[in-house]
Amino acid sequence: MSENYKFDTLSLHAGHIPDKETGSRAVPIYQTTSYVFKSTEEAASLYNMEVGGHLYTRISNPTVAALEQRLAALEGGASALACSSGMAAMHLVVTAICSSGDHIVASSKMYGANINLLQHTMPRFGINTDFVNPNDPEAIENAIKPNTKLVFGEVIGNPGLDIMDVPTIAEICKRKNVPLVLDATFNTPYLMQPFKHGANIVVHSLTKWLGGHGIAIGGAVVNGGNFDWGDKEKYPTISGPHFALGGISFWEEFGPSALIAKIRAEGMYNFGPSLSPTNAFHLMQGIETLPLRMKKHIENTHSILDFLSNHEAVAWVKHPDLDTHPDHEVAKKILPKGSGSIIVFGIKGGRKAGQVFIESVQLASHLANVGDAKTLLIHPGSTTHSHLSADAMKEGGLTDDMIRLSVGLEDVNDIKKDFEKGFKAVKKLNK
Amino acid sequence: MIINFKGNETYIGTGGRSLDSNKSTICFLHGSGQNHLSFVQQARFFAFKGYSVIVPDMPGHGFSKGEPLKSIKDNANWVYELLVELEVQKLVVVGHSQGCLVGLELNRLYPEFLKGIIFVAGSNEIPVNQFLLDLAKEDSQKASKMMVTWGHGIDGDMSTNNWPGHSHYGEGNNIMNMNSADALQHDLHSCNNYSDGVEASKKINIPSLAILAKNDQMTPLKSGLKFVDLIKNCETHILDCGHFLQSERPKELNSIINSYLTKLQ
Repeated sequence: MSENYKFDTLSLHAGHIPDKETGSRAVPIYQTTSYVFKSTEEAASLYNMEVGGHLYTRISNPTVAALEQRLAALEGGASALACSSGMAAMHLVVTAICSSGDHIVASSKMYGANINLLQHTMPRFGINTDFVNPNDPEAIENAIKPNTKLVFGEVIGNPGLDIMDVPTIAEICKRKNVPLVLDATFNTPYLMQPFKHGANIVVHSLTKWLGGHGIAIGGAVVNGGNFDWGDKEKYPTISGPHFALGGISFWEEFGPSALIAKIRAEGMYNFGPSLSPTNAFHLMQGIETLPLRMKKHIENTHSILDFLSNHEAVAWVKHPDLDTHPDHEVAKKILPKGSGSIIVFGIKGGRKAGQVFIESVQLASHLANVGDAKTLLIHPGSTTHSHLSADAMKEGGLTDDMIRLSVGLEDVNDIKKDFEKGFKAVKKLNK
Repeated sequence: MIINFKGNETYIGTGGRSLDSNKSTICFLHGSGQNHLSFVQQARFFAFKGYSVIVPDMPGHGFSKGEPLKSIKDNANWVYELLVELEVQKLVVVGHSQGCLVGLELNRLYPEFLKGIIFVAGSNEIPVNQFLLDLAKEDSQKASKMMVTWGHGIDGDMSTNNWPGHSHYGEGNNIMNMNSADALQHDLHSCNNYSDGVEASKKINIPSLAILAKNDQMTPLKSGLKFVDLIKNCETHILDCGHFLQSERPKELNSIINSYLTKLQ
C-alpha cells in the first residue's frame, strides 16, 4: 500500500497483480484476438473510449497492457503503448503528431532505418526533416521552424555512440514549444530515464536490451505526459477534433495521456502494428532481469574496453565512458551508471582485417542485432556497407576497419580469449 | 468547452457531448490539486449514457485561468454561480475528496438547488497535516507527488490499470502539474479550515450516496464512516482500493452511481 517501489522491484512486478480467479503468478498470455462483451452497452462504452478495457487485440490486449504498464512505471511516464517493433513505434509517433507540410528536426547521427524513414519515406507524405549534429544545441535551435512539430534523436547514437546532451536540448525544445522525442533503446531506463532530464516522449526497440535475449521483436512509445499540446493551431492532431469519436479532442479528454490515446485510436486502429501477446510475454520475461543484466553488461563492457584499448592489434576504440570520447563529459553527467554495452573499434589492417577477425571468432556471433545476452559482432565494411568505398564510408561517419561489438554476459575472460583468436588470424594476414 | 466566467477563461469538461438542458445534469467536482481529468472515466461514461455532464476546472486548475479560490465556501459559491450561468437546475453533484466538502457546502448554502448528492472518498472534514501544508507552499510538485503516492492503493504501486498502458502515478503527477503552482496550497488550506461539515451533513435531506475506499490514506475510511453516520439514509458502499476510486475502480464506481441515478429518476 503506497510503497513507491524501486526500479528492481518494478522490473519484476509492475503491470501485474495475480488475479483472484487463477492465482497465476506469471503474467498470463492472453492469446486471443477479441473479448466477449457483457452487453451492447459495455461494447459501446469501449468503442466510445468512455472507460478503459479491451475490445480487439490490434488495439490492446491484457498481456501487452501489462508490458506497457511495466514500461510506463520504469520510465516514470504517464502511459505507454507497445507495438510490433521499434521502427513501428517511431512511425506511430511521427504520424500521430505530424501531417503533410510539417517539419522535423532530427539528429544526423542515428540508426540507418531512423534516418531512412525521415529522409526518404516521410517526405513522400509531405513531412520533411532537417538533420543536424546532435551535439550542437545551437544548430538544433536554429533548425526549429514555426512548422516544426518534433525534435528527434537517440540518447546514445547508433552506431557512432554520440551522446545527446538531453537536458540542454530539452530546455531548447521547451522554450520553442516542441516535444523532444528520444530513442532510448541503447540506454534503457536502467541507465537513464529521459523524462527526468526534460524529454517528452521515448521510443524503444524492445528487441534489444529490454527484451535482452534475441527472441522477440517489439517496440514501445512511452509518453512522459509532460508536454502541453494545448496549441490547437500547432498540434491539431492531438488537441483539435479527431475525425472519429464525435470529434474528440484527445488533449481535453485525456490530458497527460493524450498522445497514447491518439496513437491507440488512430495509429493502432488504422495502421495495425500490434505486438503479439506471446512476444509481449517474452519481452516481459527479459525485463524482469533488466537491472541484473545491465549491471553485468556494463561491467563486461568496461573490462573489454581495457582489453581493446591496450591491444596491439587494435587501431582505435570508441565508447562514451572512455575519456577520449568527445562526449565523455556529457555521458558522465546523464549516464552515470555507464553508457551502454556497444563498443566500436578499428582493427589494424583495414577492411580485410575486419573481415578476417569476424570470420575467426567462435563465441561471438556475427549478426545484425544488438543488446542480446550473448556477445554479438558485425563488420559494416564487409556486410551492411560492403558496397561503399572507404572514402564513402568516412563521409557517413564510418570507417572500413570498424567493428561494432555488443558486449554480452558471458565470462569476460572467455570473450577476450575468443577475440585473441580473431586477432591472431589478423596478425597472420598483416604479415 | 471554454467559457468566459467571472472575467476568466473557464474550462468545463462535458464528456465529449454538448450540454443539453433537457437532460438530467450531473456536475463532478474535483479534489485538491486535481482538475477535470480526475473524472476522465466518469465524464464520458455518463455523457454517453444520456446525461448532461459538467466537469469544471476550478480557477487556477487544469485549463481554467484565474486565482485559485481560498475557502470551501468560496468554491461552493463559485460552483453555484457557474451552474446558474449555465442555466442548470435540480442537478446531481458528485464530489471527490475536497469536491465532497464543496458539494456539502453548496447544499448547505443553497438547500433547494440539488436533486441528489454523491460523495466519492468523502468526509465532513479533511484535516491536513502541517508538513503537507508547508510543502505545498514550498514545493507544490513534491507535495503533489507525495499525494499521488499516498492516494493510490495497490494498483498505483503495481502500475496495474484498467486503462491499458496507463500509469496511476505518472498520469496523476502530470494532472496535478497542470495546475497553477499555488493551487494546491490554497486547496489544502481550504480543506483544513473547513468547519461547517457536521452541520452541513446533518442538513442533507436529498437522496445521498457515499462510495468510500478501504485503503484510503487521504480521507481514511474511519472518517468517511463517521461522516455517513451524520447523514440521514445515506446509501454507502466501500470499494477495495485507495483514494482515487475514479481511476482505480472506474467500472464498479460507475455502476454504483448509475444504479443510484436510475433510482433517483
